[in-house]
Amino acid sequence: MSNRGEALQQTRIVDLSDDKAIYGVKLLADLGADVVRPEPSSGDPLRHRGPFDEESGDSLWYTFFASSRRHFKVDETSSASLYELNALLSSADLCFLGRENSLADRVNVEAARTRNPKLVVVDVSPFGNTGPWSDFKAPDLVASALGGSSGITGDDYTPPLKLFGELNFTISGSYAATAALAGLYHAQETGEGQSIEVPVHECIASSLEHVFMWYYYHEHFPNARAKALERRGSLHWTNLYVVMPTKDGAMMVTPTPNLEAQLAWLVEEGSFQDLLDPKYEEPENRRRYSQRLMEVIREWVAAEDTEDLFFKAQERHAPYGWVQTVPQVANNPQLEARSWWQKTRVGERRVPSPGIPFQFLGTPGQVSESGWLETNASNVLDAVGWED
Amino acid sequence: MRPLEGIRILDFTHVLAGPFCTRLLADMGADVVKVNSTKRAAANNAPSSPYYAIWNRNKRALALDMSQDDAKGVAKSLVSQADVVIDNFSLGVLDRWGIGFDDVSTSNDQVIYVQMSGMGSGGPWSDFVTYAPTIHALAGLTYTTGVPDGGPIGLGFSYNDHQAGLHGAVAILSAIEARRQTGKGQRIDLAQFEVGAAMIGVSLLDYFVNGREAKPCGNRLPYDKFAPHGCFQCRSYGGDILDERWLAIVCRDDDEWQALCSVMGAPDWCREEAFCSAEARCENAEELDRHMNAWTRDQDANELMYTLQSAGVPAGVVQTGIDLAESDPQLQAHEFIRFMDEPHPRLGETFADRLPIYFERTPCEIYERSRLLGEDNVSVLADWLGMSEDDVRAGEEAGFLT
Repeated sequence: MSNRGEALQQTRIVDLSDDKAIYGVKLLADLGADVVRPEPSSGDPLRHRGPFDEESGDSLWYTFFASSRRHFKVDETSSASLYELNALLSSADLCFLGRENSLADRVNVEAARTRNPKLVVVDVSPFGNTGPWSDFKAPDLVASALGGSSGITGDDYTPPLKLFGELNFTISGSYAATAALAGLYHAQETGEGQSIEVPVHECIASSLEHVFMWYYYHEHFPNARAKALERRGSLHWTNLYVVMPTKDGAMMVTPTPNLEAQLAWLVEEGSFQDLLDPKYEEPENRRRYSQRLMEVIREWVAAEDTEDLFFKAQERHAPYGWVQTVPQVANNPQLEARSWWQKTRVGERRVPSPGIPFQFLGTPGQVSESGWLETNASNVLDAVGWED
Repeated sequence: MRPLEGIRILDFTHVLAGPFCTRLLADMGADVVKVNSTKRAAANNAPSSPYYAIWNRNKRALALDMSQDDAKGVAKSLVSQADVVIDNFSLGVLDRWGIGFDDVSTSNDQVIYVQMSGMGSGGPWSDFVTYAPTIHALAGLTYTTGVPDGGPIGLGFSYNDHQAGLHGAVAILSAIEARRQTGKGQRIDLAQFEVGAAMIGVSLLDYFVNGREAKPCGNRLPYDKFAPHGCFQCRSYGGDILDERWLAIVCRDDDEWQALCSVMGAPDWCREEAFCSAEARCENAEELDRHMNAWTRDQDANELMYTLQSAGVPAGVVQTGIDLAESDPQLQAHEFIRFMDEPHPRLGETFADRLPIYFERTPCEIYERSRLLGEDNVSVLADWLGMSEDDVRAGEEAGFLT
């Protein structure tokens, strides 16, 4: 049991999630929850997700997503082992289930809830357990397509694109963690546990910013030519945020929130072209002015040095964003100054690892290395130490 | 009963990240009081804006002109009654109003303060101004989302605002659980930049461990040998980009590949050595994609999706907002889109996309329209501070409750 003064140190979790919620369990584990992740005797298939440490062969995907947990193997052919797996649920506060975790089918959730009425079970699946698509398979790309995120990502010269990596499943993971904590709060207040379903499809569809607004209120937007926006690169629905090439890189540029200040800056730089033309003060030309402003900015930015431009913009409180590569993020001075990086073990090495995306001033969490329970089927419960 | 009933949240957020966080909590039953003012209620922070209406449902609206001392006094009293105070202003705004964590925690040591700033408190970039597209760029999300050698394409929507909101909800509920153990509230410093950086955590770890730099890879997975793994063009409805139909198809193992080959009628090219293993298919992914595109090009995307799914091959139509709103049978079966019972005074009929969390015992089925500026002044100040309606109306007349 963790006793490091962390927010969730009294919370016990059995993690039978798959890739759709493993990020959510990570959030809770890094905040101090005591998380055990049983594995089938053949090993957790998610340990085969790349990239891998070229020296040790360890999965870095697994190191990141399965942090701060305790693992042990379940012998699916042993009734004693399966008994202990099920017995864990008697002492747990939360249990996460994923359809692609083979052990999720080996726990008797209803029996566990009878023994432990406060248990909260979070079942994260591609589409939920009802509805015409409930049996569909949906790895991240398919989930991204059906959920609507691919439809607005990419450009007119590319296919619809998925977001890099597994950003759709980190959304469902974050929803799963939120659901679990809400269920836990209710259980603590009332003594009543429950089952909670989180369909990935709806998590994605509910996180698309403008998409439903555009459909239902398109008549409010003068630039709306249809009830949906096409994929159009980084261009935001407002038409006022877009990535532009610079002399030596790329910059996310926006004249918001103060278009007048942006114009004044262009005037200072002598790069305002026709933007001071009185015609743009006419109400009928305001939309044309916004377009022209972005055109003028694009020409100006193209001749600017990225780093200089970024800092000049931020000095003026203009929310420009320097398009950073992964090594640049890894060497970012802000992350360094805030001591965001933590150390984790990979093979025999201790290396910097992404930290926790929030700082609790009273009960700080930490990303810790996952441990392996040196146990066999007959003493898992002793090793976990969850007997009350 | 909804799961978070009884939790009081004072909400000083604006735009998307903060309001999305408090919308989640409000959907689950927390009493969220959204603070706004005549002076701030412009553009997307105006209650008549569709953007505002979407992210501020299920909350009560209180108007406070924080430039006035009387409003600050009311705010101070409200904070003393709150479980949670949340803002996503620039750093220090609540401190300047005299309702920062240090001011208030002496009288209410159970309060949880969440500051969702762009860069976090402290550090050389802490004063930087950010919106979600800024964070996407700085955190590597813009660079990595694109096609090889195509320059950064990035994200066309404010993904990180949703993630920051979700992380805010996780943080708040975790701090409430901690308070149950310690009896104390605390301050939480949530940097939206750090949320964004966590989203590429695996690639950062790969960089530190192997020195490898992640590059944009289109629809392929950056690290795993799954092929085919792409979006393939099907029969279009017309000539506009919105008329295009695309189908995402993924094979994660040889079983799914064999099932796909079977659906395709086992063409000769499937049996070529270039496609005989996952590794070979990844090495020859461009050629594989050409075969796939040739096969899908004249087919109906929707029909093909059902055929492939029936055969055990993961496949999904690339849906637009129109598809999601009008024809997605799964969303319809779950009544994902619903309309508010009460018309909005400015927008008329308004809708809600439902909370994608289905609680068995505490279902969250209440969706109430967003409220106009100060529309709930009387009920909020009566419930939280015991003020009479006459006193509230006097405050409105005096101008500090506006």
